[in-house]
Amino acid sequence: MTLSQGKAIFIWGTVISAVIFLALSYDSLVKMPQRTQEEKLDARVAAGKWVWQKYNCNDCHTILGIGGYYAPDVTKVMSYRDADWTTRFLKDPQTVWPAARKMPNLHLKDQEVADVVAFLTWVNSIDTNNWPPKPMVAAAATGAKPGEAIYKAQGCSACHRIGGVGGTIGPDLSGVGRRRDKEWILKQLTDPKSHDPKSVMPSFARLAQKDREDLAEYLVGLK
Amino acid sequence: MKYESQKIAYNYFIVAALLFGLQIVFGLITGAKYVWDYDPLISILPFNTSRAIHMNLLVVWLLFGFMGGTYYLVPEEAETDIYSTTLANIQLVLFALIGVAAITGYLFGWSWGMPFLEQPTILKLGIVVVALMFLFNIFMTMMKTKKWTVIQGVLLGGLVMLAGMFLFGVFFMKNLATQYFWWWWVIHLWVEGAWELVTGAIMAFMLMKLTGVERQQVEKWLYVEVGLVLFTGIVGTGHHYYWIGTPGYWLWWGGIFSALEPLPILFMVIDTMRVVRERKIEITNRIAMNWAVGCAIMHFFGAGVWGFAHTLPQINQWTHGTQVTASHGHFAFFGAYAMLNITMMYFAMPQLRGIRTFDQGLARKAFWFMNFFMILIALALAIAGIVQVYFQRILGMDFLSAQEFMKLWYAVFWISAWGFAAGVVMFLIDFFRLAKAKA
Repeated sequence: MTLSQGKAIFIWGTVISAVIFLALSYDSLVKMPQRTQEEKLDARVAAGKWVWQKYNCNDCHTILGIGGYYAPDVTKVMSYRDADWTTRFLKDPQTVWPAARKMPNLHLKDQEVADVVAFLTWVNSIDTNNWPPKPMVAAAATGAKPGEAIYKAQGCSACHRIGGVGGTIGPDLSGVGRRRDKEWILKQLTDPKSHDPKSVMPSFARLAQKDREDLAEYLVGLK
Repeated sequence: MKYESQKIAYNYFIVAALLFGLQIVFGLITGAKYVWDYDPLISILPFNTSRAIHMNLLVVWLLFGFMGGTYYLVPEEAETDIYSTTLANIQLVLFALIGVAAITGYLFGWSWGMPFLEQPTILKLGIVVVALMFLFNIFMTMMKTKKWTVIQGVLLGGLVMLAGMFLFGVFFMKNLATQYFWWWWVIHLWVEGAWELVTGAIMAFMLMKLTGVERQQVEKWLYVEVGLVLFTGIVGTGHHYYWIGTPGYWLWWGGIFSALEPLPILFMVIDTMRVVRERKIEITNRIAMNWAVGCAIMHFFGAGVWGFAHTLPQINQWTHGTQVTASHGHFAFFGAYAMLNITMMYFAMPQLRGIRTFDQGLARKAFWFMNFFMILIALALAIAGIVQVYFQRILGMDFLSAQEFMKLWYAVFWISAWGFAAGVVMFLIDFFRLAKAKA
């Protein structure tokens, strides 16, 4: 090979790749407003994005899978947490999710919390080509009880353990169906202090009746 | 060393070495937060701050190294002194001050909040000024004699691309997906584009000087190398456009082109070995040669093999956003860029001090310590990542519960990091001894 042939490889390699890349980039930027539901991206969402950046959330959490790997990915967080839970969590992370690895309390103003929740709600609607993928095992398991989803969404595993997975602040729930009946569990969910006045468990009376029933149904089935 | 103004490089290398040391300190602190969930520093140095500092120090020390390398290389290639020594020194001080301001700012919660580009906008504008001063100085030097060598051309092209791409990371966009689309123009087109040009040129220059192989040979293969790097790397940006709100065709374009990205790196390894085999002169600076060959090999495994392992969308959908990426990041940045800078430091420093031979015992120990423990770091994080993929993504366990199962591998990672740090300390002791040596 000669120097000029090497030069030709350099020039043509660069030009071809750059042309393809620029053409695809142009097309992507045309399509992204629709794929990201930009019509829902209002001033509140934009303000929430700035809150997200200002507090450097992205160096602990990933979003769209990018960022720090120290804390959960939040791309689809609003699919399994509601605005109420997220708001309470952001105001006092350590009480709502008393895990050993803590999120610091950022002392966000109410407006900032509302903005960041609006931002995450919008992010949840981005078409990410089905990322993150549905867990293989969970997708394969048919007949999962609706209460199991509530158990996950409410973050019960921060304090409780089932089958060795979860926190140790509250009692292990692995075989709770052998010890308690549905009535007892429903009462515990609505008013934890009724069974033990010193209980640190928060009340879940704010959940819909149906959700509490489903959750109790799921737990009582753990035998 | 032939030109007085090459001495500008001296201070750049000193600052780079110091920041490297500091980067490792923050790396150890950041790593500890994975090993112990209880974090006594949470209110003064939470994870996000220490990670931002760890990463920013990495980028800044590498840039100081590239700049030092450029100031050393260009006079010999252009056969003239640097256009303005004063400007080069002002540029060094300004860049260092911006770096100090950024890191101090992070400690007080002053952040722009995009990973690696956390610098507040005003500091980013300062970085643009630094880049313009640097490019102006280099360009004016080359224009003095207009002796355009391929090495110089590729170096200048890489530096212009480096500065130009940074502009895509300066502006706030309302749409997170679009923001990340442009963010990758900085991050990816730096590390798999511009930086490859800069380091390719610097490496070609060093190999030519160390082995005495003809310029014609070196430059011909440099063209082919960087041509393949850009061919695969530019469209290869697409491997970051799988899951961020971008159209589905990127899975094809990004997958295919990025799967080819290891080829130019393999080519570099073969080329380096060939140059060593065909050397025309006895290699006196053995340790620089060690680092150069090590760099080629670790570049290939860290960037090429480790990157390839999770670049295809069928795999990446499971590994994206896990410790697998952290493993690749550590391995690739060390192999491709940290080692290149250390090679340059060992290549240039003896000449800057006017010494021909020096005791290389400690330098060799540092080489083996850093390489051995970096491989362990990469392996431990890779296993942690695979455990994470299994529990979190396959079984659907929640994030923090899955982390519990990764603890052992975080511990292995962190202990290996101490071994790596020991290597860095040896390097720093050796390097500063060399920097103070008298002819």
